[in-house]
Amino acid sequence: MNVALFIPCFVNELYPHVAMATAELLEGYGIDVVYPLEQSCCGQPLSNNGDSQGACDAARRFTGVFKDYDYIVSPSGSCTSHVKHHYGWYIADDADYQAMQPRVYEIVEFLQDVLKVDRLPKPVYFPHPVSIHQSCHGLRELGHAAPSELMIPYHSRLERILQLVDGVDVRLPERRDECCGFGGTFSVDEPEVSVAMGEDRVAQHEATGAEFIVGADPSCLMHMGGIIRHKCRPIRPLHIVEILTGRGGAA
Amino acid sequence: MKNDNINHAEAAAAFLQDREQARWHDSAIWWVRQKRDMQAKQLPEWEQLRSLAQQIKAHTLSKLDEYLEQFQRNAEQNGVTVHWASDADEHNRIVHGILAAGGVKKLVKSKSMLTEECGLNPYLEQRGIAVIDTDLGERIVQLRHEPPSHIVMPAIHLKKEQISELFHKELGTEAGNNDPTYLTHAARANLREHFLTADAGLTGVNFAIAETGGVVVCTNEGNADLGTALPPIHIASMGLEKIIPKQEHLGVFTRLLARSAIGSPITTYTSHFQQARPGGQMHIVIVDNGRSDILGNDDFYQSLRCIRCGACMNTCPVYRRSTGHSYSYIIPGPIGSTLGPSRDIKKHGSMAFACTTCGSCSNVCPVKINLHEQLILQRKRAFDAGTLKPAKKMGLLAMRFLTQHPSLLDAGGKLMRKVVPIVPQALTRHSAWSRPGRELPDMPAQSFKEMWQARKENKS
Amino acid sequence: MSSRETILARLRQNRPQGPALPDIHAVPFITFENKFDAFATLVRNLGGDAVQLQPGETVQDIVAQRWPQHGRVADLTATTPEQVTAPHDWHDVDIAIVPGELAVAESAAVWVSHSGNSQRALYFLTQKLVLVVPKDAIVDTMRDAYTRVSIREHGFGAFISGSSRTADIEQSLVMGAHGAMAALVIFV
Repeated sequence: MNVALFIPCFVNELYPHVAMATAELLEGYGIDVVYPLEQSCCGQPLSNNGDSQGACDAARRFTGVFKDYDYIVSPSGSCTSHVKHHYGWYIADDADYQAMQPRVYEIVEFLQDVLKVDRLPKPVYFPHPVSIHQSCHGLRELGHAAPSELMIPYHSRLERILQLVDGVDVRLPERRDECCGFGGTFSVDEPEVSVAMGEDRVAQHEATGAEFIVGADPSCLMHMGGIIRHKCRPIRPLHIVEILTGRGGAA
Repeated sequence: MKNDNINHAEAAAAFLQDREQARWHDSAIWWVRQKRDMQAKQLPEWEQLRSLAQQIKAHTLSKLDEYLEQFQRNAEQNGVTVHWASDADEHNRIVHGILAAGGVKKLVKSKSMLTEECGLNPYLEQRGIAVIDTDLGERIVQLRHEPPSHIVMPAIHLKKEQISELFHKELGTEAGNNDPTYLTHAARANLREHFLTADAGLTGVNFAIAETGGVVVCTNEGNADLGTALPPIHIASMGLEKIIPKQEHLGVFTRLLARSAIGSPITTYTSHFQQARPGGQMHIVIVDNGRSDILGNDDFYQSLRCIRCGACMNTCPVYRRSTGHSYSYIIPGPIGSTLGPSRDIKKHGSMAFACTTCGSCSNVCPVKINLHEQLILQRKRAFDAGTLKPAKKMGLLAMRFLTQHPSLLDAGGKLMRKVVPIVPQALTRHSAWSRPGRELPDMPAQSFKEMWQARKENKS
Repeated sequence: MSSRETILARLRQNRPQGPALPDIHAVPFITFENKFDAFATLVRNLGGDAVQLQPGETVQDIVAQRWPQHGRVADLTATTPEQVTAPHDWHDVDIAIVPGELAVAESAAVWVSHSGNSQRALYFLTQKLVLVVPKDAIVDTMRDAYTRVSIREHGFGAFISGSSRTADIEQSLVMGAHGAMAALVIFV
């Protein structure tokens, strides 16, 4: 089985250690991990700003780069969801896309649904309280957890996978899945609202007494991280793969 | 009427200047979302109920013309006069015509977002008819000469001190008495007089039933009932999408409406108007005003399923932190941000961007409108209509180009990583990213692509 | 072409695809073991109260006990109820006693409607509303209720749940917005 890493453009530049942790995690399970160098942005910023031509071109390019791999796996719920659920707006009839679409996974989904893991590659001891951040697209479009609006049985992929980590103390913030306010270009189109939302979110995570905010979307963590740094707060954002590979403490 | 030139980002930034008031607004409305959750949780069939409502509305939209014709036939058999209005102006002319024929001097109105949409109040006032909004929240904003900031809680942007001051000036209540019970009962006494002396009553319509030719109006206050039981003329204005096929379908919608809207199992009054009372007249005005165009749009016709519960506003994290007054269209929040741009993308384009695409609105919607997706699709229309600011459009075109040329994208990323750390903070501090209190992340020495290639070389 | 024709033509032309009407009775809805208890618990949160008439007791006894000091009473359950010439004549009623046809456990709502459609102003003008409902006329949900009542029968009918209320000032719940300030449901 080969797995192509889909590393979102901003993760490539700003969070290379998250991408590397994703690769190492997969390799730890004996997977042949490939990183197609010709990959580019998935086109979500274009789509979210109405540039359908640009979004369509990006979708075709992505499909061309990734279509021949067994699985395509990414450490970002939002970018994964764009490929999986919104490319259909632009290239629904593309046979290559149709064949590829079911094989695109966010990393936690892939570990749980394809690899069905019941242990981590290396045992991890992480004796810290962490507050779970459910990022919206992972939550509501990929079904990472039961959204608080829906009256369906509770489940949470992040809580479930953290059961494989020793010592971790998992907590949930008040308003368990409210948006952090990042929203892609929303963060700079409406910076005041975006930061107001982020400040509220960070405060709710802090109120749990957690030392870390743990999520599966680097963009939300970047946004909250920027607010935390501005306010000189001690809580730290952490991507789930950083914990699962035992790198969490270094952050 | 609302100022079409409102830009959401700017208006929201102004609202957030008073952080304490903004926090109050956020938590007051979040509480309504929580009440909605508590009600929904009590019904094991909640999600199935939403599906039923969605299907009934989707079915109705596919035969809207037939159901409206059936509705009209039945209403006329009940002795009700049915009018059709293509647009806001025709609606206002019809209403004025009925009032003028009846010699009406004073009209009492219950809540109707449609009449806000049509600008009915100023139209009638210019023609010498006194219009009294009777829903407490509507009355408050009417006395303040401002539009409602929420479709269910029109005065939710105000603190009780502001309302106390207003009532002191307008109704002569005690200065400084901010007690909500005192203020509500003062308005009750004042509005009773209006109910007893009005010549006509106008209501909105929550549901119009094709099978019976009647309309249903839901209120907690009882104002629609007093406003129609006392004056001899009742006018009900309805958007043409309010139709449902049968009486039994009320058994689905009345279970969803108040639970979604205010977290109550039902409104105090769910009133079914089939006929005028003896000696009175009843008129129903069916209004299109752009709805039939939306019906023909594959991306947006589902927005016509809306039952105006306002749950999407209550859950919207952007709405809660910006108030309804930051939106240019009369209906704010997620549903307004698809309806407004559908009506006029040039005027209301900024609304489509007032959204993080979190998707919570689509999940609370009792008729399952894909709201957050519609907002993204409205942005497509904003882009195509040329409403984006030139700098943003340039940025997107550059991004479009770089996306197709990853080596240039990489070069740009590298440049950013090298340059940002040496730029003085005084320069980055004023960027949209940093201005409101948010730092940039650390710039790593290497990109992942560089790390990956180095790792590969080390291995081989 | 009239506006009616223009609008209908556009709707016809723009028809989207849609599903068949669902069978709303196919889905099981919530049921209550004790419908009266469910009703009574709920109505007490909605500015109302509910009691069951005990043997030897009359509706008038209960009303007199609850509000020993009261103003004008209008009793539509009387054999020959009071008639008024204009609906405005009810404006100073303190207590109205009106028949309710059916009660709904999930919403604490009571269906009121009467032939002639001439007295409905009383339901909303009165300060205190007493609804008298047959004790076996209580159903679980609004779906059940709509299979039992006919909304077209009398020209007007309403489900009334508790007393008139508003939260338009700072979300503070206040009873007595425009309609009755108190509601009492008596099951007989």
